[in-house]
Amino acid sequence: MGLIENIKSFSIIENLSAEKNGLFQSFLANGFPTIKQEDWKYTSLKKIVANDFSVEGNGVTVSEEDIKKYSLGLQHKIVFCGGNLISKPSIDGVSISAFSEFESQNKDAISVLNSSLAKKGFTIKIAKNTVVENPIEILFFTSTKQDNFVQYRNNIDVGENSQIKFVERIQNLSDSKCFVNHFTQINIGKNAKVEYNKIQDNNENAILIDNMNLYQQQDSSVIVNTLIFGGAFTRNNLNFEQNGSNCDSNMNGISILDNNQFADNHTFMDHKQPHCRSNEMYKGIYLGDSKGVFNGKIMVRPDAQKIDAFQSNNNLLLSENATIDSKPQLEIYADDVKCSHGCTIGQLDDDALFYMRSRGIREKEAKAVLTYAFASEAVNNFTIAEVKKLAQKRIAEKLHVDLDFNL
Amino acid sequence: MISIKNLKAGIEDNLILKGINLEVKAGEVHAIMGPNGSGKSTLACVIAGKEDYQVQEGTIDFEGEDLLELSPEERAHIGVFLSFQYPVEIPGISVSNFIKTSINERRKAKELDPIPAPELLKMMREKMELLNIKKGYLSRNMNEGFSGGEKKRNEIFQMAMLEPKLAILDETDSGLDIDTLRIVANGVNKIKTKDNAIIVITHYQRLLDYIVPDFVHVLHNGRIIKSGSKELAHELEEKGYDWITKEADKKWA
Repeated sequence: MGLIENIKSFSIIENLSAEKNGLFQSFLANGFPTIKQEDWKYTSLKKIVANDFSVEGNGVTVSEEDIKKYSLGLQHKIVFCGGNLISKPSIDGVSISAFSEFESQNKDAISVLNSSLAKKGFTIKIAKNTVVENPIEILFFTSTKQDNFVQYRNNIDVGENSQIKFVERIQNLSDSKCFVNHFTQINIGKNAKVEYNKIQDNNENAILIDNMNLYQQQDSSVIVNTLIFGGAFTRNNLNFEQNGSNCDSNMNGISILDNNQFADNHTFMDHKQPHCRSNEMYKGIYLGDSKGVFNGKIMVRPDAQKIDAFQSNNNLLLSENATIDSKPQLEIYADDVKCSHGCTIGQLDDDALFYMRSRGIREKEAKAVLTYAFASEAVNNFTIAEVKKLAQKRIAEKLHVDLDFNL
Repeated sequence: MISIKNLKAGIEDNLILKGINLEVKAGEVHAIMGPNGSGKSTLACVIAGKEDYQVQEGTIDFEGEDLLELSPEERAHIGVFLSFQYPVEIPGISVSNFIKTSINERRKAKELDPIPAPELLKMMREKMELLNIKKGYLSRNMNEGFSGGEKKRNEIFQMAMLEPKLAILDETDSGLDIDTLRIVANGVNKIKTKDNAIIVITHYQRLLDYIVPDFVHVLHNGRIIKSGSKELAHELEEKGYDWITKEADKKWA
């Protein structure tokens, strides 16, 4: 049976409320998105949803070694096993608990499916004027014997003037396929500062659709870093909405894909208020038969004057068979704004390669250094040293070189 | 040190070097002069191993090794250095890391451990002083936004750090003001020992006032048409190239 049939059976056992059932029926009306939809034109779920996934299957427990292996070793850790919260730190001004209901505005099928059925995930509330110095690591472990579909639904409220950083990782511990529909909503209070790092370095059986909504109040500043190294299939929908003036929204992305990996970054920057800034930089490196998609939309609403928005998507194709589809979209309805975007697709520069080799740097290493240099503009924006280090390590591993790139 | 015999090379069907013979011994400075398009930079690139050029005939022996059999990095490992006419900008890599990587890559080839950081820093400081380079320079991105003079100084800085046996300076003087020229030339002279050798490629006599050659060769249309002492450079400065190129053209017509 295909995924949709299994989800249907699951929904019957769940005994949904009228409201949830309404949402679920609206999902069923059209089912999973297909490539006929503009937003999924280059990203096909057809083969994935044809799999006979179990839904919200129970997994085994994680060991301390697993946690150690996949953690960045940060002081604060929130750990989920099969969607259940198994450990959390105690931090003044920060309340961390398991899933609780919240509403979301997203109308797309994947988000609607999540809001109708998801019952696992986290709820984090940061009281106002709380500055959390050390970043919080959030680890989701999945592990089931059969192929499994799970949904997480997370909500974070960041109070006024508060500051916090997160590093998130979803890790499949089994050899079975794991399809995660991940939904996170973050409300950012006035003058708050938030950084969210997504380490997408799952195993080759992992499928991820990650949707993140960020709602910013005035004077707030947000950074979302997306690092894609692993996983078979990854789709990120990253949506920023500025609801107050003087907001900063920053997105940094690096993807380094090989074999048959697929990754799609869809971003939506919604400038609704004046005097705000956004800065978006996505770097993609494609090896083997990998495939990437980038779709970045910037919307500037009529009242959003004096906006300074920048978007760039640079791609390096390092093999004959790798492909990238990149599409910037600007919709501007205000007249006094500064918006620019740039997209490049290229190969390594032969002159630079010869220059380096003539200085004794071997070809493979020279290529790796140039590739790292290409990514470094984004990597240098990672403020957490452990995240930056991981990026350097994984880039070196994926390029099969023993270099530390410690520039 | 290096012995080039009957070297013929070019790009695809276009033969640029038409039979070069050149012998450079340890401790010597050779200048190669010649008009635009004579093949000077091609010769430098072929020695350094640029793969765009195909060698059709001839040999290059470097201290007993067949240079033409080696990759550019292997040539660097055994002591060949090319100072580029147009050094390449590499955004995202600092000067210090670039140099650290090249030194360690060479050490790796010789099965040595990476250079200890204090040793590297000490060496960098010494060589920077030699070339009058300011401190902040090491953390700048490789050649990115460098002025012409800074780029050339960076080339000689790398030469000082890598301590090659044979350095080829391809138009190191182009784009330099007279003060920078003097600094760069003095730097080269301080690196110069009886055990290494330098090939200076230049259009002008100017640089040779500072880096004094033992031999001057005139390259024209892919051949060395005249060799002599440093006085030849003065003569060329005075009379131009016409008087020898015309004669050569007649001979090879």
